[in-house]
Amino acid sequence: MGSMLGDWPSFDPHNFSQLRPSDPSNPSKMTPATYHPTHSRTLPPPDQVISTEAKNILLRHFYQRAEEKMRPKRAASEHLTPEHGSKQPRASASDASY
Amino acid sequence: MFTSNNIVARIFERQIRTPAPSTSVHRARQFYENLVPSYTLYDVECPDHSFRKFTDDGQYLISFSRNHQDLIVYRPTWLSFSCKEEDCDTHDLPLKAKKFESFFTQLYCVSLASCNEFICKDFFLYKESNQFGLFATSTAQIHDAPAIGGAIQGVPSIEKITFHLLRLEDGVILDEKVFHNDFVNLAHSMGVFLYDDLLAIVSLRYQIIHILQIRDSGNLVDLRAIGAFCREDDELFLNSNAQCMAIPDKSKHQFPVNHLQNGLHRNLANLDNSFLSGIKQRLLSFIFQEIWNEETDPTRRVRCLKKKFYYHFQEYVDLIIWKVQFLDRHNLLIKFGSVEGGVSRNADHCSAFFAVYNMETTEIIAFYQNSSDELYLLFEQFCDHFHTSRNSLYMNFISSHSNNIHALEQLKCIKSKASVTSQFVKKMLAVLPLNCQSQSPSPYFDQSLFRFDEKLISATDRHRPSTDHPIKFILRRQPYSLKFKIKPGPEGGSTDGRTKKISSFLFHPILPLAISVQQTLFLQASVVNIHFRR
Repeated sequence: MGSMLGDWPSFDPHNFSQLRPSDPSNPSKMTPATYHPTHSRTLPPPDQVISTEAKNILLRHFYQRAEEKMRPKRAASEHLTPEHGSKQPRASASDASY
Repeated sequence: MFTSNNIVARIFERQIRTPAPSTSVHRARQFYENLVPSYTLYDVECPDHSFRKFTDDGQYLISFSRNHQDLIVYRPTWLSFSCKEEDCDTHDLPLKAKKFESFFTQLYCVSLASCNEFICKDFFLYKESNQFGLFATSTAQIHDAPAIGGAIQGVPSIEKITFHLLRLEDGVILDEKVFHNDFVNLAHSMGVFLYDDLLAIVSLRYQIIHILQIRDSGNLVDLRAIGAFCREDDELFLNSNAQCMAIPDKSKHQFPVNHLQNGLHRNLANLDNSFLSGIKQRLLSFIFQEIWNEETDPTRRVRCLKKKFYYHFQEYVDLIIWKVQFLDRHNLLIKFGSVEGGVSRNADHCSAFFAVYNMETTEIIAFYQNSSDELYLLFEQFCDHFHTSRNSLYMNFISSHSNNIHALEQLKCIKSKASVTSQFVKKMLAVLPLNCQSQSPSPYFDQSLFRFDEKLISATDRHRPSTDHPIKFILRRQPYSLKFKIKPGPEGGSTDGRTKKISSFLFHPILPLAISVQQTLFLQASVVNIHFRR
């Protein structure tokens, strides 16, 4: 059969002259170079699971905005629930007007 | 994506080159630039039915009889004649080929409506996975119906609305859902939304959103009813409480016996309690919380509440649900508005509000006015997520201003021309919640392939005013040539130019085949043209 590339026309006849045909009984010793990391700073946490977010991006925007609006609630909830030890008494002007 | 416009060159190129990542469907759709429905059969003799649409998988053509009582389903096929001569292109089509029957074979004719009922010919929803079709029949509308049994005053009533679920393969009626003395907006499927297997039906009259599931067996199963109650066991809880309350108060002791479908919902709404329950309570408390959280200073907060909430309190209480759509399996987008706007066709002057409601947690997530810039920006950027459900692939490729640069340019053009931004935003948001399955998936409406006059024809299936001039489809890419024309109506144009004509277009989602139907408003006779690739 000849070499795989030996009989094909080539611009320069000396091209590919040093190429040896691949021998099936003698497999190529070429192994790809393996790269090892030198540090472990970028290792993922051992329990990390990557999955697709179930909510689509539109809903994520809605929920995110809702969370942003609810965040100052922490300051507000102190007024609404006195059993959390808030400093202002329950009977304030805001409640008397209802 | 292809280096040549020639179809043979493109086929060769397809053999040797892989498309850029994630563009394999786009590249395949580019072949539609070469295969266009350029030949028109004018005024085809066809059965006198009103053709509704092709199903989104292209398997069936749905049509209704003129008397609106029967459903006729056709299978789209193709011409099957052969020409033995050498130069076939110059030959005219044989007479046999120019008939309606050579393109469509009738599968069956099913009677859906009995004597006094009519099929709503604008209503059709398709569940592609099982090839189920949902149709609606109704009796006549009764305006000025009395507001009894928890109904809203001002909403008309229909004695009987039936939703029929059919297996389109053979026309077998699998299940039915009946609503008595109710009102569901059936025109263009506005009051119903199908998301995968979940169906939301808005009962305008009783202000309930019925959530149903279409099972694979073909059964319509009630899942929940949102309105006066949010959770499934709310009714039971309030019932047991009401019975305890009713004993000392003899005037409210009698519960009207109720055989009707909507159950005890209406009984409890009858009770003259001043508590707002269900979704209305959720909505009002969300609005309150939102305004409450804006300010930390107590006096300013009270002033804010007075101005924004209590001043408009009655307006908020009087809001009714107009329209609903699914955003995903748990979240609904609900449009609220006043009673007058819910029924009338032109509701532009009425104020409307949008709320995102989570069915599982029964919480309102967001609330916007219809002039909200924030909601408009979300609509501009993520329009596709308002009508895409994950399971249907072709929905991702319907051109919208969020996925197509040409459509976005058109939108920006309209935006820059608008003098008042709030009017523009209201007009844009008026399409929300979107109508289910109202866009045709045909690649001929893909804005990146063709340019066409949106006022005369578009992917949305609505009747349009008809002109005598053919509608041109021009290539978007070089050499920007005219690829094909769609001309509704008779070949020589109509003889009388004065009568107003409307056209509707049905494009097959896959084949280069389209039907145009031109009708005059008064006479029922319509001109049907078939456009296909010869």
